Amino acid sequence: MTLPTALTEDQVYHYCPPEKLSFDTTETLEDLDQPFGQERVLRALEFGAGMAARGFNLFVLGPSGAGKNELVERFLAKHSATQPVPPDWCHVYNFESSDKPSALELPAGQGREFRKDMQELTNELKTAVPATFESEEYQARLQELQEEVARRQHQGLFEIQQEANRSNIAMITTPAGFTFAPMRDGEVIEPDEYKKFSDDEKELIESKVEELQKKLQQAIQQIPRLRKEVRERIHALNEEMVQLTLGGPFGELREKWTHVPAVVEHLDRVRNDIVEHAEAFQDDGNGPPSGLLNRYRVNLMVDNACTEGAPVIYEDLPNHQHLAGQIEHRAHQGNLYTDFTLIKGGALHRANGGYLIVDARRILTHPMAWESLKRVLFSGEIRIESLERLYGLVSTVSLQPEPIPVSVKVVLLGDRMLYYLLSHYDPDFLDLFKVEADFEDDLDRDDSSYELYARMIATMARSVQARNLDRGAVARLIEHASRLASDQKKLTAHDRVLKDLLNEADHWASRNESDLITASHIQQAIDERDYRASRVRERSLEQIRRGVVMIDTSGEVTGQVNGLSVLRLGAMMFGQPTRITATARPGKGQVVDIEREVKLGGPIHSKAVMILSRFLANHYAPMSELSLSASLAFEQSYGGVEGDSASVAETCVLLSAISGVPLRQSLAVTGSMNQHGEVQAVGGVNEKIEGFFNVCQQSGKVDGQGVLLPASNVEHLMLNAEVRQAVSEGRFAIYPVTHINQAITLMTGMEPGEPDADGNFPDGSFNRRVADRLAEFAEVGRKKDVNGDNGGNGNDSGSGGGDDDQ
Amino acid sequence: MTSEPKIPDPTRPAGRVLVLLDGSRLSLDALEAAADLAHSRGAEVLGIFVEEVNLLRSAGYGFAREVGASSGQARPLDSAHIEARMHALAEQARRSLAQAMSRRGIPQTLKLCRGQVVQEVLGLASPEDLLVLGRVGWSAAPGSRIGSTARSLVRQAPGDVLLWTRPRQRPQGRVVVLLNHDQGANHRAVRVGADLALQYHQPLSVLVRTTNGDHQRVTEDLLSYLQQQGIAARIRLLPMASASAVTRALQEEGASQLVISRTCSLFSEPGADNLLMELSLPLTVTP
Repeated sequence: MTLPTALTEDQVYHYCPPEKLSFDTTETLEDLDQPFGQERVLRALEFGAGMAARGFNLFVLGPSGAGKNELVERFLAKHSATQPVPPDWCHVYNFESSDKPSALELPAGQGREFRKDMQELTNELKTAVPATFESEEYQARLQELQEEVARRQHQGLFEIQQEANRSNIAMITTPAGFTFAPMRDGEVIEPDEYKKFSDDEKELIESKVEELQKKLQQAIQQIPRLRKEVRERIHALNEEMVQLTLGGPFGELREKWTHVPAVVEHLDRVRNDIVEHAEAFQDDGNGPPSGLLNRYRVNLMVDNACTEGAPVIYEDLPNHQHLAGQIEHRAHQGNLYTDFTLIKGGALHRANGGYLIVDARRILTHPMAWESLKRVLFSGEIRIESLERLYGLVSTVSLQPEPIPVSVKVVLLGDRMLYYLLSHYDPDFLDLFKVEADFEDDLDRDDSSYELYARMIATMARSVQARNLDRGAVARLIEHASRLASDQKKLTAHDRVLKDLLNEADHWASRNESDLITASHIQQAIDERDYRASRVRERSLEQIRRGVVMIDTSGEVTGQVNGLSVLRLGAMMFGQPTRITATARPGKGQVVDIEREVKLGGPIHSKAVMILSRFLANHYAPMSELSLSASLAFEQSYGGVEGDSASVAETCVLLSAISGVPLRQSLAVTGSMNQHGEVQAVGGVNEKIEGFFNVCQQSGKVDGQGVLLPASNVEHLMLNAEVRQAVSEGRFAIYPVTHINQAITLMTGMEPGEPDADGNFPDGSFNRRVADRLAEFAEVGRKKDVNGDNGGNGNDSGSGGGDDDQ
Repeated sequence: MTSEPKIPDPTRPAGRVLVLLDGSRLSLDALEAAADLAHSRGAEVLGIFVEEVNLLRSAGYGFAREVGASSGQARPLDSAHIEARMHALAEQARRSLAQAMSRRGIPQTLKLCRGQVVQEVLGLASPEDLLVLGRVGWSAAPGSRIGSTARSLVRQAPGDVLLWTRPRQRPQGRVVVLLNHDQGANHRAVRVGADLALQYHQPLSVLVRTTNGDHQRVTEDLLSYLQQQGIAARIRLLPMASASAVTRALQEEGASQLVISRTCSLFSEPGADNLLMELSLPLTVTP
């Protein structure tokens, strides 16, 4: 068994030698056009943005703070610049159906002009049409008409009166109408005198009266028809006059807008409407009613006059109204009114023909916003409807604007979990968001990447308006980026973390009145961040120092080992040692995980304990019964344990408990193990090592302590300067282990021993002691079985986690 | 009107205000106007209600039918019915008169007569009296803007006649006096116009129809009269144009009341009176 040698300083840290950087300060570095190391995202964006087919919208996945928004906006700004500017859209009054305002499409930038034209036309109408009605010509013609009708009305009655007078019959007016009576010398004959008339005369008179009455009835009944006729003729006159007045301005506008047939049609409708409402323009002292003139206004909903290329819109508050637009209301004397001028477009209107960037989490948290977005994308048109209407809460009459066809590429930004959840639970999601742009968290670190990474840092520093960095600062930042990535061969791509660090370093540089950010400012920023978040860590260390939490860092103890755990609090992680203890006695092949029994252990931890118990059985009692009742516990752990990174430590402590061989307390152990005893990589190694180092440091002198870690974790090491120094001075050792036997050797100082062909371990070896001890346990178990003495025979059912002390 | 009662002008004979009542809506309006005028002049009011004898007689015929002025429907007409209606109307006229005058403390009497309206009124009116009547009564033929009674009385009455109609609402109207440059009775018309202007707190305009050449004299004459009487007025000369041009001028002037002398040449032009009546203005005709 070859013992692993302790790692050297170079192995526990990947330095960035300043000579690898060919510049003095970042001032000389050019900005990066394309983000470094994000080829996958860029290709996805390129494809998604250029793909015309429907449903090829994008979802950009990445952790928050990765700079998704900035990258997407930058990419789209560049991509869209060469694309055509989409058309303007306006809403105008619908003369056929007033509650369904029509939508008009106009070439980009011409919407404003159309609005201005219509405004000017309206202003002209205000004066020109009333002026027409006041003109001599109109007044004269109106009077002619009225006189003619009055004359005809009067004429009818007058003729009857004349006819009556000719027959010596008077037409007398009564309070309610007319009557006829025989007359002489302009006076009605006394009825008594009339009686003296001969029958012939009477008959003549009465028949004449009857005839006149009929004529009069007919004449009177003609009057309403006459009045109607005059109304119609006045209306026709009004129309004629208005037509003549409007001819000029409308002709010019029609000519101007011949290239947009929809506008010409609208102009014709406006003209007809004005003619139809000509009377309303007659001057009654107040001018034409504003309600009427408002109908000719133009609601410019999408104005692309100042847009260059295709629009790229980022909707900060993606609720239903902001996306799909809304119909606003005006309060007037306690009532709410609306018309087509109060229709407001949403982000989808503005982004029509271009790109809409929306934060996925935000759109999902606003009621109906997600559903509305999907509906628009499915239908290819935007229909403005209020939220309360969508929910069916109101049924009052409102506007239903004509839907506007939409062609927009939506780019959703969100974290990966959201993408996977949406793919899983929303059946429409993958139909609509077919392009997945996955952000790279970490970038490869090799010689070729230094230059690019340095340029990336330079770009970032400029974007946050920080000072330039000197070469040393960049080198230190690169090293720290590896530490943040927890990998010697990677660099973090996390935008926010790097920018924050640059800002802070800039702050310290300004405090030191330095023109450049140097390595010391970067280090200060790192240390200050670390210090600010160190309260819990300090408290934990203090408890170890004072012996409240018991950790040994020297000597040898049986059945006790220092495991290593990592605590994550907010954005900070720190490691600390945990004492793991084990007991062993004869039993029925049970390893009791006390953490699991009390439900403080997670499933992965339980799995690891099961693996180690099968490793024991397979390794030490392949052909016989494993007579063992063992228990494992994380001492003074009250918050639960999860993960399998303690399984190497647990195996060591269990074997120590079985064999009675003490373990070195100066070494802490981390690593997971498989059923064959091979050691596998774990996470958080840097924090764990530094955590144990800190404990050793405060318990006295660091001398001879160390950590065992999986050999496959070596390339994740980016340890801090203190640890590195101790390593270089040989005071602190870090051993990479590949197999449990190596760990046993390091922890006990004994040879583990390989089994021979019969499966027996060599004498004096550690494994032999374990096997012998297990054989003793088996013997004791057999004796008890023969004696029929089963009572409490170490038969740990595991249910009680019981300590069957006999 | 809310103006203070004026002390009657001792230089002017205090005539009565005669109101012709027939129970129609416009006659009730005219009654209010008459009350205002009487109040400001300190004159007493004589209401006149005439039972038209021709109507009463015609109701006596067995075959008489009344043809509705709006509906054209014929229905029987008998004496008892007409008598009752006349009584009711007379009673209503009495009540309205009493009500309108007592509010202002004006002495009033109602004269009930039977006969022909024009004759009865002419019999009662004297040259100092102001006769007030609605422009049309219920007896107006549909389509006619001025009743036959009004037409006759305007031409025949010995004193001033006010043909009342509901004035159009004009906040800044003017009292307009329309004259002929060569007529004799100009001063009376101007006087009446000035009184009206004072009463309604409205400015006064004098429109003079002239032939070419004698502007100077007319203006001077009028100005000296106005000055003498202490009346402020705007004078405007109109060419001897058609009646419709006069109508236009009145509109331009913003007339809310019109005073015109019977001797004005406009009356002699064909159809002119009709045109004047088209203006929906209270019209005072002076002899």
